[in-house]
Amino acid sequence: MANNPNIDIKHVAKLARIKISDDELPRYSEEMNNIIKMVEAMPEIDDELLVDESNVMDLREDKLSDSKLSRDEILKNAPKVVAGCVVVPKTVE
Amino acid sequence: MELYEYKASELSEMLGKGEISSKELTESVFDKIEKTEPSIGAYLTLNCESALAEAEKIDKRRASGEELSPLAGIPIGIKDNISTSGIRTTCASRMLENYTPVFDATVITKLKNAGAIITGKLNMDEFAMGSSTETSYFQPTKNPFDTSCVPGGSSGGSAAAVASMEAVMALGSDTGGSIRQPSSLCGVVGLKPTYGSVSRYGLVAFASSLDQIGSITRSVKDSAMLFDAICGHDQMDATSARREYSPISGTLDGDVCGLRIGIPKEYFGDGIKPEVKEAVMNSVKALESRGATVREISLPSTEYALSAYYIIACAEASSNLARFDGVKYGYRCENPENLMDMYERTRSEGFGREVKRRIILGTFVLSSGYYDAYYKKAKLLQKRIRSEFDSSFNDVDVIITPTSPFEAFKFGDKMDDPLAMYSADICTVTVNIAGLPAVSVPCGYSETGLPYGMQIIGRSFDERTILNTAYAHETDFGGFKAPVIANGEVEL
Repeated sequence: MANNPNIDIKHVAKLARIKISDDELPRYSEEMNNIIKMVEAMPEIDDELLVDESNVMDLREDKLSDSKLSRDEILKNAPKVVAGCVVVPKTVE
Repeated sequence: MELYEYKASELSEMLGKGEISSKELTESVFDKIEKTEPSIGAYLTLNCESALAEAEKIDKRRASGEELSPLAGIPIGIKDNISTSGIRTTCASRMLENYTPVFDATVITKLKNAGAIITGKLNMDEFAMGSSTETSYFQPTKNPFDTSCVPGGSSGGSAAAVASMEAVMALGSDTGGSIRQPSSLCGVVGLKPTYGSVSRYGLVAFASSLDQIGSITRSVKDSAMLFDAICGHDQMDATSARREYSPISGTLDGDVCGLRIGIPKEYFGDGIKPEVKEAVMNSVKALESRGATVREISLPSTEYALSAYYIIACAEASSNLARFDGVKYGYRCENPENLMDMYERTRSEGFGREVKRRIILGTFVLSSGYYDAYYKKAKLLQKRIRSEFDSSFNDVDVIITPTSPFEAFKFGDKMDDPLAMYSADICTVTVNIAGLPAVSVPCGYSETGLPYGMQIIGRSFDERTILNTAYAHETDFGGFKAPVIANGEVEL
């Protein structure tokens, strides 16, 4: 697959939930393919990826604590709120 | 001399002795901002009123005899991707234009507890993606040494504010060079600490395994002061290192006798401007005459580092930035037809070109069928780059390289060619890939007066050795040189 650097930009953009217009497509394609050409030069390395024992994450206990934040305060940043709930377009017909 | 011209270490002493008040100092910095900001454009949000109120509080506490931290009363600017409760935090993106965090990043809590005064939020490349601050949705920031040039990036606002004395010091973040490269281009000191030494809680994530908050200051001593204040374990960041940190501030003596310096030949190749190499090597010679020993070393995988960096960084960014969907906070497109339309239009309208390009690249390298060819290969390279650094550090104590291959460039010069822009980070990305600490210090000036920077890389958690080496260099080189009238339009 690495030998075929022609990315289907529209498909990948769709996966990333980004809309690319037909006008923008050639420029994105060219830039992406140039970047891919650069990264294709990476050497093959015969090695395995192991978990770095010296750098394991230190996960805290999953327990509730009081954030001291009110619902209203948190919802202040939401684009659309009705009756203390975030409003989104209908998801189920 | 005006108060805004002093370094934090000097101001700290003056404040401690009662020679000046924090209120006077803060007013002096805001006067300077008012005068200089129209030509530089470093700030996205100013915090003037509450800064002055906080300064008065600190003055009262000091007057009552309370023992205060060295940073108490010092005005500090904050990069706009670090969450500040009640102060807009935009990441220089349309996506977060109206976002005001309800919590402080751990570094902000630490600064507030130390009594530091927050001057405002500083411009940057959108979501820290860029090397010139030109990808900011809001405004360009100009280089104080030549306003027709970029300040570097992504922490361009932070570096420009410190260099133009619109802040005594600043916080930045560094994922591939975003503290060190703008510090180099603006002639100031930029420290990217060891991964895990400073909490990332509240830093808006770009590439979580590479991101690190650090300092931008006008002296090495100030850099140590700020690092001492922000380092330490934090349970809110799962990658935060659990260890003890002894203060570096006060221990810097510039003694480099016996220090072993490694010069990696791969960082002095054709892509690096000869004048930059010369300036760095002259500084190395000065360290040698102070008793350090110098040897050439090799870090052979360096030529692939940029590729590995962009794959890892973009892969992580594509995942981290998935949270910006227009639902709970941030920008939402007008009149979405349905949920999918809302996601797609919100993200297409809310993100700029560079951010979209990196999200798409990251999505591609992680997508089915391509993972092994790109992401896995990059992670294997990361492992190899790390082990090359590890074995070098058996023979040397610090590694010295240029910070940026060239001095500050003109606006628009590299905006149309992503690969040319990415090459600005060629000397800095390896440090993030390996998780090491590194500091950039000014080491020379071009014919037109633009600064060159030297990067000093150290072992993990050995910030003291790189800062002490930087301090020795600063003593020889003469430290921060304030920009003079640039382009005839800025009076600094």
